[in-house]
Amino acid sequence: MIQQIVNGILLGGVYALVGVGMSMIFGIVQLTNLAHGEFVILSAYLSTVLCTNLGLHPLLTLIITVPLMFVIGMVLQNLLINRVMARGSEPALLVTFGLSIIIQNTLLLLFSADAQRMVTSFQSLSVDLGPIKLPVLQLLVFGIGLVVVLLLDLFMKKTYLGQSIRATSDDKTAATLMGVNVKHTYGIAMGLAMGTAALAGLCVGMPWTFYPTSGSQYLIIAFGVVVIGGMGSIKGTLVAGLVFGLAQVLGGTNYGMLVSYAVLLIMLIVRPQGLFSK
Amino acid sequence: MKRHQTGLLNQALLIVVIVVLAVLYLCAALGLIDSNVMRIMLSMCLYCAMGTMWNLMSGHCGLTSLGQQSFVGLAGYTLAVMTTYYSLPYGAAIIVGGILSALLALGLSLVFFRMRGMYFAVATWITAEALKTIFTSWGFVKKGAGMTVKLRPYPTTMEIFILALTLAIVATLVVHFLLKSRTGLGLSAMGNDADAASSVGVNIFKSKLVCFVLAGFFTGIAGVIFYMNKGSIFPTGGFSIEWTVSIVFIVIIGGVGTSVGPIVGSIIYVLLSEFLSKYPGWSNIILGIIAIVVIVVMPDGIVGTLQKKFHFEIMSLRRHAPE
Amino acid sequence: MSEPILKVEHIQAKYGDFLAVSDASMEVPAQQVVSLIGANGAGKSTMMDCVAGVHTPTSGKVFFKGEDITGLPAHEIVTRGLCLVPQGSRCFVRMSVEDNLIMGSFPKAARAHMKDSLDRVYELFPVLKEKRNDASGSLSGGQRQMVAIGRALMTRPELILFDEISLGLAPTIIKDIYARIKQINQEGMSVVLVEQDVKRSRKASESCFVMLKGRVVLSGPSQELSEEAIKNAYFGI
Repeated sequence: MIQQIVNGILLGGVYALVGVGMSMIFGIVQLTNLAHGEFVILSAYLSTVLCTNLGLHPLLTLIITVPLMFVIGMVLQNLLINRVMARGSEPALLVTFGLSIIIQNTLLLLFSADAQRMVTSFQSLSVDLGPIKLPVLQLLVFGIGLVVVLLLDLFMKKTYLGQSIRATSDDKTAATLMGVNVKHTYGIAMGLAMGTAALAGLCVGMPWTFYPTSGSQYLIIAFGVVVIGGMGSIKGTLVAGLVFGLAQVLGGTNYGMLVSYAVLLIMLIVRPQGLFSK
Repeated sequence: MKRHQTGLLNQALLIVVIVVLAVLYLCAALGLIDSNVMRIMLSMCLYCAMGTMWNLMSGHCGLTSLGQQSFVGLAGYTLAVMTTYYSLPYGAAIIVGGILSALLALGLSLVFFRMRGMYFAVATWITAEALKTIFTSWGFVKKGAGMTVKLRPYPTTMEIFILALTLAIVATLVVHFLLKSRTGLGLSAMGNDADAASSVGVNIFKSKLVCFVLAGFFTGIAGVIFYMNKGSIFPTGGFSIEWTVSIVFIVIIGGVGTSVGPIVGSIIYVLLSEFLSKYPGWSNIILGIIAIVVIVVMPDGIVGTLQKKFHFEIMSLRRHAPE
Repeated sequence: MSEPILKVEHIQAKYGDFLAVSDASMEVPAQQVVSLIGANGAGKSTMMDCVAGVHTPTSGKVFFKGEDITGLPAHEIVTRGLCLVPQGSRCFVRMSVEDNLIMGSFPKAARAHMKDSLDRVYELFPVLKEKRNDASGSLSGGQRQMVAIGRALMTRPELILFDEISLGLAPTIIKDIYARIKQINQEGMSVVLVEQDVKRSRKASESCFVMLKGRVVLSGPSQELSEEAIKNAYFGI
């Protein structure tokens, strides 16, 4: 039981990382990015390809995937999403829906429906703490998740760029009057969100197998983080990650996803504004 | 003068449509239609019915559902269970499948209507995913192994096509008359200004409820007819997001909020999928790209853009003040 | 007399089909306080939005320091030294008071002076220094208005536009805020006050412009226009 809870907590760190980008975009750009899960999986595939083809260590692939996803995010926001956002949130929602279909099917075409997994040197290592076993790999991805979420929070609070992003999410017009270029800010926010997706891709791709269709599973987790965490609350994001991590582990392989769906649906019904939003 | 002409044109069009449909029924009944052509038209009819319903929800009620597959899958399984376990005729399955879907819609609406746009979209989608998971592990419906439809004698493609054609016509007419009714007037008032509409006494909740339940009912029946033609159902197919992908594509291409958009959209969609089936793997990518391009450059869809250009509306919902 | 710092020439502005401003011109001499008076819906705010770049006029020109700034985006106009304090004290409610103010020094030229500007704002509004770590959403209406003013001052503008700054505030707070505006002006900043209150704005400004149904119908030095005349123009009598 304790072992399971520990596993759930470790999983929670990764889930927080999966959700933090979606939460950001939801809060700042006011866009529900239905392609977020696919971006995570796309990154996992990118890392795998770099691993196998260039022989890079999985962690080193981040040097390429994070900037690459950042640029893709900015381009996407500036060329596509900003244009349709002007007509309301519905067309934008459907555009991201379209993107998710395109990415998922492109991955299917390129990599087939087979399961993929990144192989790491520390795959089977673990730390024993009495009755509890802590797999090194899980610890590592948990650590990455935690650090990234906290760093992002620091960036948002301590830099002009981060402040301008927060200001834009609070009041677009007032931010413009302070010299903030809103469209540019949206581009950066999307870039950052995609950067976190790249990190999340690595973190889910090392310990678990994934398929081209895994995106929707991670989208639901990301959406859960948005709903439970409320946007812009770092504490909320972490707690939401934990809730889903525990739900998944306690539900087991058969009912893990079902428990997550149930938690999310109940949250949506009871408190759609999030547990931690003011 | 101008309005008079439009009226005449519309009447002429109506007569043409009735004649075409009558000929279609006759040809189908006489077995004059090639079975491959019939198969293609059958999907067009089913998608048309589902698209029309999604258009009613998204275009007129602001309910963007991404979970239409819940209704398709539930009704499809109803058909399989009723025919396999209870040897009931398909007519019963159509009715029960439709009613179960409508009840599901009713149940969902009670809890989901409080949610704003994107929450509603995601909640409907998660519901479908949850149903998929449940059906995958539910012994009664043979888990992931799927079920077959057992009908004796098995209806011919011709029979199924006639059912589908009738469904498409009924769905289109129901939506048309619903929108012309008081409920429709309330909905268009709501589209303009929800607060103002509710303040003058439009019961928004009730109007949206009617649309959502109707959509569940007809989408469910379309599911029954689809699986009657297919013969077997699996949880991954019945509750697949693909259903919603196709429906959304159809309505966007045709034109959200237009009366004939879903008809045009479903024709284009089915022909395009037929053509793209030669390139397996590519078809969804291409459909996705087309949908995005249409959203960006032609936000009113094909029908909406043409109507704007020629100032002519087929099956107009506009109410003309008496002169 | 030298070149006016702001010159608005015959602007027209629409929201969809609605003509909010049909023909409005005004001039703001450097280092003066000018008031723009008019009833609700006269087009004052739209006109200010056009000047600050929040809204784009359909025709007409806006010159700031002799340069044509018509149609430039708001975020660019603010870097040139023109800042609008929008109606309703729109603070970044989830950010602290100090973070709100720091956002004001977002324009590159203002960043170097961030510390000085911050001290200056705290000197003008000591209460903000006290509450600097509070979320601005928790402040009173008057304090929020001070945050909005302070934040605008942080951009180091040469011309500052106040859109209905006294709306919904208690008389004593209005008096206090007006005193600060006077202080700001005496330090060399040009000011436009958008107001519905004829008496207060006439007293606070050197010249007045009166708007009615999207047009500027009366203008002149505040001393030469009687309260009576302004009121007549205001109501279109």
